[in-house]
Amino acid sequence: MIERTFRGGVHPDDGKAYSRDAALTVYEPKGELVFPVSQHIGKPAKVAVSVGDRVLAGQVIAQQDGYVSSNIHSSCSGTVKAIEKRRTVMGNLVECVVVESDGKFRTVKGMGAKADFRNMNRETILQRIRDAGIVGMGGASFPTPVKLEPKNPDGIEYVIVNGAECEPYITCDDQLMRTHAGEIVTGLEVILSLFPKAQGVIVIERNKPEAIAAMTEAAAMSKNIRVQPAPTKYPQGGEKSIIKVVAGKDTKMSQLPAEAGCIVDNVSTVYAIYEAVCLATPLIRRAVTVTGPAVRNPSNFIVRVGTPFRELLEAAGGLVEGAEVRKAIAGGAMMGIALPDLDVPVQKASNALTLLTVDGAEESERKLTACIRCGRCNEVCPMGLTPQMMGVAAERKDYQKYENRLYGLECISCGSCTYVCPAKRPLMQLFKDAKGAILEARRAAQQGGGAK
Amino acid sequence: MNPSVSYNVSSSPHIRSPLSTGQVMYDVILALMPATLFGIWHFGVHALFVVLMSVASAVLTEFVFDYLTGRGNTLYDGSAVLTGLLLALCIPASVPLYVPYIGSVFAILVVKCLFGGLGKNFMNPALGGRCFLLLSFGSAMTNYAVDGVSGATPLAQLDSGAAVNLVQVFTGHAGGVLGCSAFALLLGGLYLWVIDAIPWRIPVSILVSFAVFMGLFGGDGFDLPLLCLHMVSGGVFMAAFFMATDPVTSPVTAPGQLLYGCLVGLLSAFFRAFGSSADSVSYAVILSNICVPLIDELVIPKPFAYRDSAADAPFTFDRKALLPPVCAVVCVLAVSVGLLRGVAGVTAGVVEQRQLSENLTAYRVLLPEAVDFSIPGETAKAIEGLNGAAWGSGFGNAVIQEAVSGTDAVGASAGHVVTVRTMDGRDGPITLSVGFLPDGTLNGILYSELNETPGIGMKVEEDAFTGQFVGIPAGTLTLGSDIDAASGATISSTAVVNAVNAAIDFHIAYGDMMD
Repeated sequence: MIERTFRGGVHPDDGKAYSRDAALTVYEPKGELVFPVSQHIGKPAKVAVSVGDRVLAGQVIAQQDGYVSSNIHSSCSGTVKAIEKRRTVMGNLVECVVVESDGKFRTVKGMGAKADFRNMNRETILQRIRDAGIVGMGGASFPTPVKLEPKNPDGIEYVIVNGAECEPYITCDDQLMRTHAGEIVTGLEVILSLFPKAQGVIVIERNKPEAIAAMTEAAAMSKNIRVQPAPTKYPQGGEKSIIKVVAGKDTKMSQLPAEAGCIVDNVSTVYAIYEAVCLATPLIRRAVTVTGPAVRNPSNFIVRVGTPFRELLEAAGGLVEGAEVRKAIAGGAMMGIALPDLDVPVQKASNALTLLTVDGAEESERKLTACIRCGRCNEVCPMGLTPQMMGVAAERKDYQKYENRLYGLECISCGSCTYVCPAKRPLMQLFKDAKGAILEARRAAQQGGGAK
Repeated sequence: MNPSVSYNVSSSPHIRSPLSTGQVMYDVILALMPATLFGIWHFGVHALFVVLMSVASAVLTEFVFDYLTGRGNTLYDGSAVLTGLLLALCIPASVPLYVPYIGSVFAILVVKCLFGGLGKNFMNPALGGRCFLLLSFGSAMTNYAVDGVSGATPLAQLDSGAAVNLVQVFTGHAGGVLGCSAFALLLGGLYLWVIDAIPWRIPVSILVSFAVFMGLFGGDGFDLPLLCLHMVSGGVFMAAFFMATDPVTSPVTAPGQLLYGCLVGLLSAFFRAFGSSADSVSYAVILSNICVPLIDELVIPKPFAYRDSAADAPFTFDRKALLPPVCAVVCVLAVSVGLLRGVAGVTAGVVEQRQLSENLTAYRVLLPEAVDFSIPGETAKAIEGLNGAAWGSGFGNAVIQEAVSGTDAVGASAGHVVTVRTMDGRDGPITLSVGFLPDGTLNGILYSELNETPGIGMKVEEDAFTGQFVGIPAGTLTLGSDIDAASGATISSTAVVNAVNAAIDFHIAYGDMMD
């Protein structure tokens, strides 16, 4: 049988061999931890502590502000050392609460207390998830409680657990599924309890046979949960790709997954939901992969949010003798964010630190030629766009055509076009610029209209 | 660890596929190797020189242009090598070496570099070069000789009604351009297809639409062997797999590629049926190349999420932006066709009279009874269809130039004259006219071009020799028994007898249609 897949996509070297069999180990940070108040899409949280305050692990240090926002918890016990602007993985300066850890990691009262979600009502479950400050941990960092309260809960047909992990190099979800399959299934059951008509589907790429086996076994007892293996193809784990694979529907940028009858949550997010609801534990730890050809002992760690990336590299044995890091990436090689240095903290959505000795972007500048119009970018676009034409329009700053005729705002920034381009055109960069300019102009027009 | 170290920062993605522009070009070059090697093996070592000259001059031209304009070396992208090779494969192997040289210079300098270099040219440089050569060196470009022996191309033979062996043509054991082996081209094309280097839509739509339109226009209906023969000859495979698939000059979108392939197939079939057969595909591809920007604008696919609702077309269509250019193209075409037809109607008589008058004196001598001469349409078309190829086999390199029929004072047929030009003279080409009387006998020959050495070859001009061609039956003549060679001028005599035999053979085939 041919497995269902999405149209387009690319097959980069997955690089997972570095860390795929490195067992999850707990790493405890040494010194100060840094907590940006904005680790999510939406309004930044409001700082709820002052410099000099004593805090415990699991204590709220910044309060959710508004509906689309999220709590921030301290992940260690210690003293608030500073509240100041620091640079984060996003590259910008964000208000951060800096906590000097006392190394004891004492927790707030009641954290870790076991509870059975079957005895909770809908509102209690949602409140626990809200209190735990859970956001999408696959990278998008959209507040999870918002996703779990769609307008029409009865219209949800599928709750999809995204275990595709299609990004090259990253293996933390793979390890989490292998070792915590039961907890993830319980987390999924928690979500399913909110959507009685929905079916649970765990999508895992074929390059993770151990995870497929473990999840299949864990889900065997649950009637309305199934594991759906998918072909290894990037961007299988993209929200729209995975909806296509499970529900067979294409969704527009303006459509939420719920409009296609789907709720999509990453494996780590579902695990965090399990912890929040069944163990009264907020999102203060997560699985992070430290990997790449430059790393001496590629590892999968359970890490406290707020730990500096530099410490993780040291924990992984530092660099390979003589290796020169050309690029340090928070996340994976396809969509991750390039870091100028490692002095930024792990956030809720940080799934990996990837250190490359060869920077594809740098190599591309050397090999750059004019576009030969081969159309490979059009073939691989998982959204069915025409990146070749979008690139030309973006270069000419013809944003009218970019937006209206080429549907350039439907781009999901997966980078498949840029990956495949033989002429090594910086398409992704052009699209980011174009999208930024269009959205900026739209904002300006709205403000201008409001002033009248 | 040095805290001041700063890693590269750039937009994602941070890894890229190993494929580069150079690799794309070298894949195509690799795919062309079977056809190239077959051509060299089949046509001999001169073919190798043609290939080397074409490639070397293409590369050199680009290098010099890059150097003079300070654009930086662009040779590493491999496109100049590919253009040179493609050009070599679509010209005859027997051409003098200055022909590929000039072709490559034109292709690279004019078609490619002057329009902005790689990715910017509006038509396939190799085909641009080939068409330039066809216009500039018509006879060399259509002299398809194998081992120094001229032979008609399968298409010319087909046009003249001769039998053609399909298998021989398919494998390339026939006259034609250097890359004439359809089998070798197919091999290369399939390789490109398998490694995903060319979109399948272009070759498939070209071959299918060419077969369909050839069936419609060709005049022979859907005769399978004949259609197959048309497909494997005259550069159809070359165009379908290598020329039309040139990414720079073909559409980038899936529906655009289908539309474009159909256009190439349609024009190829149209030109081959109604125009000159040898160049039909080249001009079809070039014209379609020019339409590519329009096609690209015409069909931009919509994103998947906007495509699947039944109410929407699968692509965007900007009426306002497209109406003017589409209207302009249609109007210009309509007006041109109308004007050309009108002009052709007015000038047809004049053209015929002018052509006739050049040789009228000769015709009057050969057909003394005739008072009026005309060029019959059927034979004129047949001669045009030969496209400068030698007539039949066994007559050497003798090309039929003209066939006229004469009528006497009462309007009855006064006989025919067939003019032949042979390249086999001892010191140059010989052109002569042969008179055919209505009773089936020859009425002499007259030279209109003769450059043989005085005292040797020129003896074929003496009455002792030419007088032998009067009053004998118009059947194949043998030197030595039917005709005695002019003494000491065997080569020239052979050439003349062969040319006369070609005229007789042609007259046997077409004489009935001339009255």
